[in-house]
Amino acid sequence: MDQDFSQRRRRDLLVAAVLAGIAALVPLFVKDVYVQNIMVLTLMYAALSQSWNILSGYCGQISLGHALYFGLGAYTTALLFMKFGVLPWFGMLGGGLISAVIAMALGYPCFRLRGHYFVIATIVIAETALLLFQNWDWAGAALGIDIPVHGDSWLKFQFARSKLPYFYFALALACIAWLVTWWLEDSKWGYWWRAVKDNPDAAESLGVVVFNSKMGAAAVSAFLTAIGGSFYAQFVSYIDPESVMGFQFSLLMALPAVLGGVGTLWGPVLGAVILIPLTELTRSFIGGSGRGVDLIVYGTLIVAISLARPEGLVGLFSPRRKEIAR
Amino acid sequence: MTALLETKGIWMRFGGLVANSDVSISVGRGEIVGLIGPNGAGKSTLFNLIAGVYTPTQGSIIFDGEDVTRLTAAERCVRGVGRTFQVVKSFETMTVIDNVIVGALIRTTVMREARRKAYEVLEFCGLAARANVLASQLIPSEKRRLEVARALATEPKLLLLDEVLTGLTPIEAQTGVELVRKARATGVTVLMVEHVMEIVMPLVDRAIVLDLGKVLVEGKPADVVRNPKVISAYLGDRHAVGA
Repeated sequence: MDQDFSQRRRRDLLVAAVLAGIAALVPLFVKDVYVQNIMVLTLMYAALSQSWNILSGYCGQISLGHALYFGLGAYTTALLFMKFGVLPWFGMLGGGLISAVIAMALGYPCFRLRGHYFVIATIVIAETALLLFQNWDWAGAALGIDIPVHGDSWLKFQFARSKLPYFYFALALACIAWLVTWWLEDSKWGYWWRAVKDNPDAAESLGVVVFNSKMGAAAVSAFLTAIGGSFYAQFVSYIDPESVMGFQFSLLMALPAVLGGVGTLWGPVLGAVILIPLTELTRSFIGGSGRGVDLIVYGTLIVAISLARPEGLVGLFSPRRKEIAR
Repeated sequence: MTALLETKGIWMRFGGLVANSDVSISVGRGEIVGLIGPNGAGKSTLFNLIAGVYTPTQGSIIFDGEDVTRLTAAERCVRGVGRTFQVVKSFETMTVIDNVIVGALIRTTVMREARRKAYEVLEFCGLAARANVLASQLIPSEKRRLEVARALATEPKLLLLDEVLTGLTPIEAQTGVELVRKARATGVTVLMVEHVMEIVMPLVDRAIVLDLGKVLVEGKPADVVRNPKVISAYLGDRHAVGA
């Protein structure tokens, strides 16, 4: 049975490699910029949701404040570039590290809270950060930051003429987030996190240091989320507090994982592939007809899926669940 | 040889309620000791003090020659204290083997090794056939065994069993008794809380009876059950008169 397990792990890896390969070829056939834009966003949200899934799915600490880390990544990169000429690549790393440290600093008091109280704390903290950034003049306050465009360059990671470099970066990011999760899933941390999620008292009795587990999950999750934020800042080349730290980002990171399957390896990917194009398409086709219709369609769909597949869409593809069911 | 576990003058107060008062017990290496007593005697409190869930108001707990009074449950687990829960606390969304792997990971971080160890423990506990089933799908007696398996995977020196035999059918309880004996045969010391006397008495080497937070009697099971104090604690004074 050890073999079954390793086989499944290898199969996951193979499937991921094939899917990434296919995804990499898609832009060769799809030249439409609008569609390419949706693909970039889909991959970005797949990566973000995968990062969110580490803390909230595996470790069970539901965060609805991940916009904070997303925004920190975006702001760190943009500010370092604007004010000090630091290349976005270093800004990305810096943003990731700052977010990880802040996630742990916030986790220190917040991880003592359980369940709903923790969720509320994450929302409040992210909203507070949003207000702070809106009033922070040095960081552009509510007006935000226009990232100066110096022409296409990998070094400065900006491309005005083509979306393809962004596409490939987003693909790489999604792959990295997936791989990190894949690797963590069969590690001590992965097991500890799931144990903490299911029953912290029992976990503690088995030698799991619950608090440290949560801190570790928060750091990894925030780091990866911030990289996504940095990418987004470069992609749209203009950021303001509302557009990178708004509550909707927190939701958009959580939803794909929830829809696809919380705490599963494939859930966030599957959720993002369905949800993000749907969000964009409903917005462009029926969004203009009156504010909110797209959101109604969107909400209805989520409710329908939740009712039909409470454990997430991943359940449709999992042979393991069928074996388990008796 | 020194005792594996010793509590010295343990007091535990919850506000105005004294759950344990001046409890001093000791458990020798390789023993199976039963901690019994009527409901509300303070068994579970003492048990949780030893496991590290609470810190005593007063007194100290010595485990394997070390004062562990202020250590957390996780730190005590590392030092060799394994426990089960009276109300089972399986990791419900994980498979049976994954539940046990969590325990095994305290001794090794090599996943292959942890998995092998977990499988071994499942075989030992007679759960190997259920390895890939979700813990939530086990029947109650299997969940109890899973609790024991998880604790055994941490390679404890002292295994604390909190009413693992309560509420089982006679046959299931018998399987449980054999499992405890098997565990002891591998060198594990066992301290078990039970209030069903018939099951525990043939199993344990020594019984400690708690009543109203204090040690009432301790000794060989056969002597303990005949002790008038014990009978009166369980059944009331009227029954003790004839004993």
